[in-house]
Amino acid sequence: MPPRKTSRPPPYAARQNRGGVQIPYQVRSLLRRERLRMIALVILSFLTFLWLIGRIGGESGSTAAAIIGTGPDVVIVTVLDPKADAGWIEKIKKNREDYAKRHGYLTFFPENDRYDLKNSPSSWAKVPAMRHAMTLNPSSAFFWYLESTTLIMEPSLPLTSHVLASSTLEKSMIVNQPVVPPDSVIKTFGNLKGDRIDLIITQDKDGLALSSFVVRNGEWAKYFLDAWFDPIYRSYNFQKADTHALEHIVQWHGTILAKLALVPQNQINAYVTGPANQENGQYRDGDLVANFPGCDKEKRNCADEMKPFFDIADRKARGLD
Amino acid sequence: MGSRSPSPRPGGWSSPGLNTPYDTGGRSSPMRAYPNGNHNVTWSSAQAKSAEVKGYAAFNPRGQGFLGRHFRRISTSLPFSYADKEKLGRGRHQSNSPIEVLKRIGRMLWRLRRSVGLFLFIMLSIIIFYVTPLHRVYRRSSVFGGGSKFVIILAANQGGGVMEWKGPREWAIERDSVKNKKKYTQKWGYDLEIVDMSTKKRYAHEWRESWEKVDTIRNAMRKYPHAEWFWWLDTNTFIMEPTYSLQKHIFNRLQDITYRDINAYNPLNISHPLTEEYLDPETRSPVGDGKVSSINLVIPQDCGGFNLGSFFVRRSVWTDRLLDIWWDPVGYEQKHMAWEHKEQDALEYMYANQPWIRPHVAFIQQRMVNAFPPGACGEKGDDPNIHYKESDRDFLVNMAGCEWGRDCWAEMYSYRRLSDKLNRNPWEKFKDWISDSVKAMRGGDKKVEKKKDEKKKGKGKQ
Repeated sequence: MPPRKTSRPPPYAARQNRGGVQIPYQVRSLLRRERLRMIALVILSFLTFLWLIGRIGGESGSTAAAIIGTGPDVVIVTVLDPKADAGWIEKIKKNREDYAKRHGYLTFFPENDRYDLKNSPSSWAKVPAMRHAMTLNPSSAFFWYLESTTLIMEPSLPLTSHVLASSTLEKSMIVNQPVVPPDSVIKTFGNLKGDRIDLIITQDKDGLALSSFVVRNGEWAKYFLDAWFDPIYRSYNFQKADTHALEHIVQWHGTILAKLALVPQNQINAYVTGPANQENGQYRDGDLVANFPGCDKEKRNCADEMKPFFDIADRKARGLD
Repeated sequence: MGSRSPSPRPGGWSSPGLNTPYDTGGRSSPMRAYPNGNHNVTWSSAQAKSAEVKGYAAFNPRGQGFLGRHFRRISTSLPFSYADKEKLGRGRHQSNSPIEVLKRIGRMLWRLRRSVGLFLFIMLSIIIFYVTPLHRVYRRSSVFGGGSKFVIILAANQGGGVMEWKGPREWAIERDSVKNKKKYTQKWGYDLEIVDMSTKKRYAHEWRESWEKVDTIRNAMRKYPHAEWFWWLDTNTFIMEPTYSLQKHIFNRLQDITYRDINAYNPLNISHPLTEEYLDPETRSPVGDGKVSSINLVIPQDCGGFNLGSFFVRRSVWTDRLLDIWWDPVGYEQKHMAWEHKEQDALEYMYANQPWIRPHVAFIQQRMVNAFPPGACGEKGDDPNIHYKESDRDFLVNMAGCEWGRDCWAEMYSYRRLSDKLNRNPWEKFKDWISDSVKAMRGGDKKVEKKKDEKKKGKGKQ
């Protein structure tokens, strides 16, 4: 006889299998559905992710090749006069190329008859030359215009850390300085951040010195160079053409002055001869650049004036090699 | 009265004719008795039960609310004799005393409380939203309308001010123009900046006289730091279609309705795109980068080139630069005699000569924002690219050049009338239709002829 069933059923049915191996059918189906939903969700989110990536990539895709700052840091631009002595030109080019190679920079040497200046002085060619260099190297951050009358004297000194780094720049920039000496009412701004500076330039005794300046690549550079190159200024007969035009736009237009930093002249543009800035303009041994302003003019000869400096620079370059 | 007295059994001895919703034998809920096992099914309890099943809410004695719970107490305290009440109950005699009527209305409203409440709620919402300035707040908010992103700069007192006499007509023009823009900006939640141009002539050396657009736009940008687009309007403009919002009419579809390549319509024959090798590809491209985000200036072109009577400028770094370089003393010194239209000519010049400007300028078909009346760019006024067309419901009329030999006030007046007529509401249209048809019936042919004569005269004047 089987045992008698208890007359009092337990209030809850005991679980048949301990360990939970057998899952009730309903729960299992629910789980299965949950998992299905989970898988669908994962797939969907993955697709969304792909789509987003594609969108972002697609939007920056056209400009991906030209993100400023991804290429070589500095491009050195020197406009050459094709009528000048070829040997000297070669030396000038080599001076810059050696320096560029050492620090991973690039060079660009257009000739001054390459751009249509519409009968304005050939010194204007530097403006389209800078724009041209930016077009050719859209991924570089800084463009250093270095006139052919200058020599890089200290090849081991990189421009980036010597001048361009924003902390260095903040320390070295001259604030509250009349833009045109001695008594222009327009003075350089006092509270600029180094990484907001787009134009680094020096001042000699007469005013802004255009033989060596640095422009940061970007929309502002386009604006600045195009506004400077406006035919109205080129045909205006400024006494010093592009120099006076620049002084003019810097003094009249705040959006340009706000991006300008004046640095001590000997940082990028020390004069060996000529009207140097009385405080910090004269070339001394150890300065990055030696400038012979006006040596390309009549009755002077750059090659002769530069000769001893070529030797020093060569020795320095070789000594460090 | 025996049948009305409280019976010993729940539910009472009710009969259908006597049963009122409140007469439940003195119990608040006869239903309780039923499910609890007392099987005294009375007529009223059965009826109430079936009513509950059928869903006749009004007969559901549950949850009767205030009136239901206290009906008996209130009614007994009222100065009515039971006899009267009985008569009413039997339907032999309808008491029409105002209190009864009110009560009945009250009862009806109570039954319909849901629909009445909904109706009242909707009415209240409409009033709050449209009568009070709430819809302005809504339309201004960046999430819903985004109206605070737009500022209209209206140049008032143009060419008048100190130097010229301002007659009643000039005042009337200004008043109409300002009122028109005020209404429009209020409707859509935009900001309106009215600029008195006469007070701007403060440059001691008189150099910059009437080159104030730049300063004015800059001031407006400073005053409304959260706005994005600034719409410049001359005094002699009239918004014909105030029902068009700027968002819907222009900015939601900016990409589709503007053209970057000036060759699409090029009255100035500016060579485009630029070809100089030293320029970057974006500047040399006919459409800039082609993205709507790079549009910072939207200008219409009339038959003579750019027209700055009605144009849009967007707050951006690029715009700061443009506003900064727009006026330059060297340019002014050399060209101020040649540049008759001041900023407009200067902008055309800069567009042609400073490459950085082109990738950020978009042009818009003139009639979208700046339709001309006859007399400007052609006497007939039938150029489909330039002139206002009533049937197309053009957005804005710019009575450009009306101060030279045309009648500004007459033009403003007629366009205002036309705009009012085009934007009547259905009720006004209905009224006008009735009065017109009455007139037509009465007047007959004579008046029609007269009207024709008037029209001919009007045409002769033009």
